[in-house]
Amino acid sequence: MTDHVALEHISTLKTEQEEAARNRAAAERGDAPLLPSERLWGFWEFTYANSALAIATWAFLIGGSVGLFVGPKEGIAAIIIGNIVGVVLTALATTTMTGRYGVEQFVALRSQFGYNGSRVVYVLAVVILTMGWLAVLAMMFGRSIDGLMALSAGEAANPTGAKMIIAAIGAILLTWFIVAKGPTSIKFFNMVVSPALVLLMVVMLYLILSHHSIGELLALPALAPPFEDKTLNFIVAVEVNLAAGFSWWPYIGNLARLTKNERTAFWPNVLGIFGAAALGEIVGLLAAVALGESDPTIWMTKIAGPMIGIVALLFVAFANMTSMANILYTSIVGLRQVGTASVRAISWGAILFLFCLIPFGLVVFYPQMYDGFFIFLVWTSALNSALAGIGIADYFFLRGQKLDMRSLHGPQENGPYRFWAGFNPIGLFALAVGFIVYVAVFNPQTLASLPAFKYLTASVPSCLAAGATHYVLTRLFARGRGWGQYP
Amino acid sequence: MENNDIAWQSELARRARIYEDIEAGDRFEGTMTVLDYTGMTVLTLVLVVGFWLWGA
Repeated sequence: MTDHVALEHISTLKTEQEEAARNRAAAERGDAPLLPSERLWGFWEFTYANSALAIATWAFLIGGSVGLFVGPKEGIAAIIIGNIVGVVLTALATTTMTGRYGVEQFVALRSQFGYNGSRVVYVLAVVILTMGWLAVLAMMFGRSIDGLMALSAGEAANPTGAKMIIAAIGAILLTWFIVAKGPTSIKFFNMVVSPALVLLMVVMLYLILSHHSIGELLALPALAPPFEDKTLNFIVAVEVNLAAGFSWWPYIGNLARLTKNERTAFWPNVLGIFGAAALGEIVGLLAAVALGESDPTIWMTKIAGPMIGIVALLFVAFANMTSMANILYTSIVGLRQVGTASVRAISWGAILFLFCLIPFGLVVFYPQMYDGFFIFLVWTSALNSALAGIGIADYFFLRGQKLDMRSLHGPQENGPYRFWAGFNPIGLFALAVGFIVYVAVFNPQTLASLPAFKYLTASVPSCLAAGATHYVLTRLFARGRGWGQYP
Repeated sequence: MENNDIAWQSELARRARIYEDIEAGDRFEGTMTVLDYTGMTVLTLVLVVGFWLWGA
């Protein structure tokens, strides 16, 4: 072989390698399905990634909110019941299909809602949820800083004052700056924060148990039960936790596509998401009830004196920033994926900043959102529970767990997922039915409910109603119209 | 630009074909079986009923 031929051979190999790397990067972004050989996460890697996502400061907030309705014994039961049902149904609807085919979750949703309908679902489920959480976490950061300054100066904290608002806006700006720099900086924060949060939870649990016996703790009353009927208070607490479980719907499908197979995509959610979130919420619940305060930024200053309180608050502020960066990054990556050409044309930094404008507004004009944040969380379940029901009905019962990768990723305008102008009216109608059933059974704003709520909750009927509507109407109307390539 | 698009379309087709072959040969690894779904149902029921009786 002459030198010339050898050089040409090396050059061809190099070009092929570069092209393979480009294709793989595009597949990781969601433009194509990841092949089984390209997926890296086994059972324990996915369990760690899941736990890192679930171990976040919002677990303290949710646990504290549960303490408003019920005492620790009922609260622990509500946390376990709500989370296991919510996480299992959500994982069934999302991780089984993305784990089997390595497909991006919102690309797979074209088969359920149409290629434009999946964009609508993205805006409803991801954009609104993320904007709300960004505002709540920024306010929690602001309150931590306000509490920190008050502790240092020996003054009383002012959780809705100007200092909190300025710190919260600073948190959003800093998050924008971190995410604008790219994923490497976020990865670094994740490596540090998740193990440290587990340590913080263990220290908090030790401090609580060193002041109260388990028997004393379990016998403590709720902080502010809204109803005289104890069963109703308990079911509201279960509903808050169902909402927490269903709130993983926008996120876990796209993590699961990085796992090696379907089974590895499903089971770690039970260990990671359910286990870690339940642990964090139980710590938040016990601390809130034992110290008579549902806000973690306040009970942390009471639990361990000024020195540990300052360290804990500083850490919570730092951890909040990490969670904010995670959800902002994930949402914008997805937004560019489902967005139109004009959305993709906006620069990374600019689209991030535009996304942060509504959280800015919420922090400045609606700081009360923080204290009633569980209302926001429960509203999201009206949507997420219906989405889970539709996902299960479509993937398991209508499609027999089969998706067509060629049609999902090919040109959509004349493909089988065009439905009606890119929208599947059946899927979107079923979503509306699920939402209406939820609000009719239980109004998250007023906490007014039908008698059935005490026996069924609201998320479960919403999930069932949306799934059943989607199944029946698809069987009746979709096949005849040639919609959606149903078998 | 057009070459890139053609290359990308054939890459998509290649990936789709791999999954079609796996599906046709029923060669998906690590699929959820009846045992998995039964285990999931039993675990959920045990936790729901057990904690309901304990805490509610």
